[in-house]
Amino acid sequence: MAIHAESATPAASDLSPYRTDYTTWKILAWTGPVFLFAVFVLWGIVARNMPPFPASATPEQVKAHFHDFRLPLLIALSICVTMTAFYMSFSVAVARVMERIEGPGGVLSKLEMMGGTITCAPVMVTLAIWLTAAHEVNNLPPGIMHMLYWMGWLLFDLAYFVTSLQIAAISIVFMRDKREKKLVGQFVIWWGWVTFASFFAVSAIPFVTTGPLAFNGVISFWIAFFTWFIWIPSLSYYIIRAVDRIKAEDEAAGRVND
Amino acid sequence: MSVLRERVTVVWLGLMALTCVTTWGLSKDLFSPAVAVVGIFAIAAVKVSYVMLDFMELRDAPIPVRVAFQAWPVIVAVMILGFWFATSSLA
Amino acid sequence: MSTISDAEVITADERVTPRRLPGVDGVWVAIGADSVIFAILFGSFMQARLHSPAVFEASRDTLNMNLGGVDTLILLTSSWSVALAIQALKRGLVDRVPRYLLGGVLTGLMFMTSKSVEYFEKFAQGIRPATNDFYMWYFTLTGIHLLHVVFGTSLLTYLWVRARRRAYSSSRRVVPECVASYWHLVDLLWIVIFPLLYLQRAV
Repeated sequence: MAIHAESATPAASDLSPYRTDYTTWKILAWTGPVFLFAVFVLWGIVARNMPPFPASATPEQVKAHFHDFRLPLLIALSICVTMTAFYMSFSVAVARVMERIEGPGGVLSKLEMMGGTITCAPVMVTLAIWLTAAHEVNNLPPGIMHMLYWMGWLLFDLAYFVTSLQIAAISIVFMRDKREKKLVGQFVIWWGWVTFASFFAVSAIPFVTTGPLAFNGVISFWIAFFTWFIWIPSLSYYIIRAVDRIKAEDEAAGRVND
Repeated sequence: MSVLRERVTVVWLGLMALTCVTTWGLSKDLFSPAVAVVGIFAIAAVKVSYVMLDFMELRDAPIPVRVAFQAWPVIVAVMILGFWFATSSLA
Repeated sequence: MSTISDAEVITADERVTPRRLPGVDGVWVAIGADSVIFAILFGSFMQARLHSPAVFEASRDTLNMNLGGVDTLILLTSSWSVALAIQALKRGLVDRVPRYLLGGVLTGLMFMTSKSVEYFEKFAQGIRPATNDFYMWYFTLTGIHLLHVVFGTSLLTYLWVRARRRAYSSSRRVVPECVASYWHLVDLLWIVIFPLLYLQRAV
């Protein structure tokens, strides 16, 4: 494994006087795919969000939907709220890999960590709103049920730019990696930009209830969500491997601190 | 570099001509809808192909990439025509 | 010919060069992804059309086919101009590059103007995206494409400014190649969008 120019200046980049805990780092990297699995299976499949119940549904239809699927919704959404935290832990792992390229004082790794962490907020709150709707379905009129359903989608979708900034920070830093074989592959870097671009269309959701731009439509749901769903495990693959590569680089440079 | 003799110029002229054929020729009522639509999308696929090969320079690209990209106009045209015929059979 | 491998190509002057993608490999990931996404949208449009063919046909009839056809001619010319810029760059004819890039920019602006005229024409007729499913698709597909045109024209403008300062050369042409490849994508997408929305006659 070759030593590259930037390793010749270990003082410049990450050289902490403390032990680097590669094991914990790798575990945190693994929480990325765990998060995706949870969201995909629980929110996507069990809670019936692939595709989502239509934006064009009437209040009565929304109430009926939450009534009919009350139990799976309670189970899936409650677990999902809890497991959303894994996106935050994943973001921390990514930030530390970014710091190896940007340096510990870099802003983009901070932006990434904040972006990933704050992404958890609209996700958790939305899931909790829908969980509440399911829980209280027998006590609420259709109008309130409709409102809760829409409130969730408006929050979940329109907060996208927090995630966009996280993705942009990641793509920018990993593009600047000077290693001959970059820590993160070109596909993921550029897929990040595709995901970033795809999110903007979602801004249309307050204005339409049918067609491709509705929150359950081909653009605002299938494309916007699936570009992100593909990005998470692809990036995770490289981040998990990056921890091992960085450990090897540290050992080769005599930087393993015990 | 004589602009007129560049390959891209020859391709451009061909594309412009094909555009006129589909926009102001095939779309006229002289042709039955089926003939017109098949012709229009077949020509569109050919045009996309030439843009890919000669403007995007995929002619000189690694073969797997070229094959993947060239599959796109074919798949898109077949998909659109498949839907069109399915829709027509309902009418 | 049999001694040349699949990884090589014989150029017009009979030199053997390795097969390569213009620009950086990553930009082709984005171009490929965008193409697949649009293909999905085309399929989705056709599926919507399957559900209400009469509405789609009646609405299609209100579209300005001549303007749409002219738009195609404009974008093809734009692509050609940008392709010439790259050819000039490859041959080291750096003095010619700015004018070809400017050709791309001006035709890009022409397309934007034409589309604006077309949209205003529709609005004047009381047609909005929400008017029916066809118009929702029409405004969405052409609108997203138009955003691509705006973005691409901005990139071309940036290239033009830099090219005037001779920032690019035969050995420094990665950025222009990336932008050019993206621009050709914008062109080829319209080549499909135009017949899909404007020319596709129902039975």
